[in-house]
Amino acid sequence: MVLLDHIASGLIFSSIIVLGSIGLSLVYSIADFANFAHGDTMTVGAYSAFVAFGFVGGLGGAVLGLPFGFFAALLVGIVAAAVVAVVTEKVVYEGLDVDSIGMLITSIGIAFVYRALVQMYFGADPVRYDIQALRPIEWLLPYEIRVTQHDVAIVVSAAVLVTGLHVLLQYSDLGRKMRAMADNPDLARVSGIRTDRIKLWTWIIGAGLAGAGGVFLGLYNLLNPRMGFDLLLLIFAAVILGGIGSVYGAMLGGFLIGMIHELVPLFTQLGTVLPLVPDSFAIPISNQYASAVAFVIMVVVLLLRPRGIAGEAV
Amino acid sequence: MAALDYPRGYWAELTRAERGVTAFLVAFGALLLFGLLSGGLAPAYFLYLVGIGGMYALLSFGLNSQWGFTGLINFSVAAFFGIGAYGTALMTGNTSPIAGGFNPLVGLLVALVLAAVLAVLIGVPTLRLRADYLAIASLGLAEVVRTIVKNQRGWTNGTAGIRGIPSFFEGWPVLATFPTAMPTLEVVVSPGWRTAIDVPFVGLGLEFEIPASTLVLGTSFWRALLNVALVLTFLGASYALLRRVHRSPWGRVLRTIRSDEDLARALGKHTYSFKMQSFVLGSLLMALAGVFYAHLNLFVSPGDLDPITTFYVWVAVILGGSGSNRGALFGGFVVVAIRQGTRFLNEFAWIPFDVAPLRLLLIGVLIVVLMRYRPQGVLPPQRELIWPSAVDEAPSRPDSGVREAKGGGGGE
Repeated sequence: MVLLDHIASGLIFSSIIVLGSIGLSLVYSIADFANFAHGDTMTVGAYSAFVAFGFVGGLGGAVLGLPFGFFAALLVGIVAAAVVAVVTEKVVYEGLDVDSIGMLITSIGIAFVYRALVQMYFGADPVRYDIQALRPIEWLLPYEIRVTQHDVAIVVSAAVLVTGLHVLLQYSDLGRKMRAMADNPDLARVSGIRTDRIKLWTWIIGAGLAGAGGVFLGLYNLLNPRMGFDLLLLIFAAVILGGIGSVYGAMLGGFLIGMIHELVPLFTQLGTVLPLVPDSFAIPISNQYASAVAFVIMVVVLLLRPRGIAGEAV
Repeated sequence: MAALDYPRGYWAELTRAERGVTAFLVAFGALLLFGLLSGGLAPAYFLYLVGIGGMYALLSFGLNSQWGFTGLINFSVAAFFGIGAYGTALMTGNTSPIAGGFNPLVGLLVALVLAAVLAVLIGVPTLRLRADYLAIASLGLAEVVRTIVKNQRGWTNGTAGIRGIPSFFEGWPVLATFPTAMPTLEVVVSPGWRTAIDVPFVGLGLEFEIPASTLVLGTSFWRALLNVALVLTFLGASYALLRRVHRSPWGRVLRTIRSDEDLARALGKHTYSFKMQSFVLGSLLMALAGVFYAHLNLFVSPGDLDPITTFYVWVAVILGGSGSNRGALFGGFVVVAIRQGTRFLNEFAWIPFDVAPLRLLLIGVLIVVLMRYRPQGVLPPQRELIWPSAVDEAPSRPDSGVREAKGGGGGE
């Protein structure tokens, strides 16, 4: 069925969005501003991995059609994104004496700086990881599902990272402190939590996940200097849909936005997909509007439930 | 003019920032003049730059009346600019799929009406939201508008854009034929002025001289001159309008909303409706800039709705000083200087990297530096929000002050 294929690609795209939206939501709740540089942090991660892959690409055997070197490069991408974010926090954000709107505007400037530097170094033309493109997995083809092993690797890796974050948040000391700080920063501070340090860890985790998301986005599509900025609004949509500050809301929001984005192409042939409706039934929205549909959903959610689906009602 | 009659007193009254800006403007003007006289800068192109600068200043006025006065974070500037440009292009352009061939005045009217409708459509869902949500939502809706303009071929010609837009004065009594009717002037710049500067210590000798050149002022020059006159008219009218309304009780409510919306509400003001009015007013100014752009460029395409325009205008407003209209004017021209100035860098082959991202880098660094060291902007609003008579008539010190009573006065 064609529906299954779209759900599969929705799952892959969701994984990337989820990785981005978790970090954005964490930073939004703990550093208390909408970080417009988050998308370009993904770009930084993707290009760092691209450079690293050039050195270690041939390393070792392969799993799911990806050489071990790719996973080493993924690690480099994560670390690079985290380092860049921490340096930015230390050099720029920490010294600022402006409100959250001022921080938002500053982060736009940071986003431009990241993107400009990437473009100066690598040029504006898209590049790709030097990995053999794979054919879709054979035994899924009869069901009309066209996914490659790389796509499976993206979903599995994202799931591993998200599970790791869940364990960290729920069972580690750091996780408890982070949750306390997201809940009420002043109370966390008087309780003896070193909020500065927690903030730094938030940047590291958020940007690291974004870096991973960027690497997978580069594997799924191509790498270009605008890749992160173009995805940023979808990630914001996911964060708002899930409820700002809620990590699990961001996961759910990311999943829904990714799915919606990939299911929009079905709108024009809805009758043939859904049971119980005539074949001619269709919503006349073509697939160029996939992102637009997600943005409109975001605005509607903001109107009806400003705290998102996982946040408590106002 | 006070500045001409009493230059020294005028200079003394300026703040440090104002002196800096004045000196900068004089130096920049001298540089442009040198470029013009030496033939490095064609007069028609120079006027085109002035026109684009005026367009950015108009956009900054629009954003300033939304963000600077009411505190609305509107990230859909490019959408309103594009709607203005497309509104007039669809009515007047040759290849317009809808109408076409109308008088540009009709185009102007249609563009403004379209922008007002779009402003209400975007404003209704977003103006109730918290400030940072408004930023994200308006950026998202601007992308929706851009996607529609790009993909609805039946309405907008899609990516092909609309060509054959007449100049704004097409069909007007005298002005329509003004550029072709004017004679071609030739201005001969004779050489003679030259000066040499020896930089001590480094052993570097600099020599300036204006080479002989002939400036040809033909049809394109007169056409550009008309465009500049048009944008200056737009600018003057909107400056006067904004100055008037922002000093009115209506403007005071807006400033109250910006600093404390709950306070305004507690005073019995229907803040949502005030915010909507301010949003529509600013959007109309942005659309006006779009109309000017369509008749200047004579071609519009979906690329004109790229969100980067929004951020350029934001830089202009923040640089100038939020809430200050003369700051917005200054910021608008500086942004054009950055945008167009970096184009010249292409001619230097020795620069080892792509210069296109340099513009982005400059803008980004400018934003960060401004927010770090001068978040209020270069020319923050000072006296311009108060009636001049209120300042003039107020006594500079109270009649019987505490200081006089305590210290005997005089010894400050």
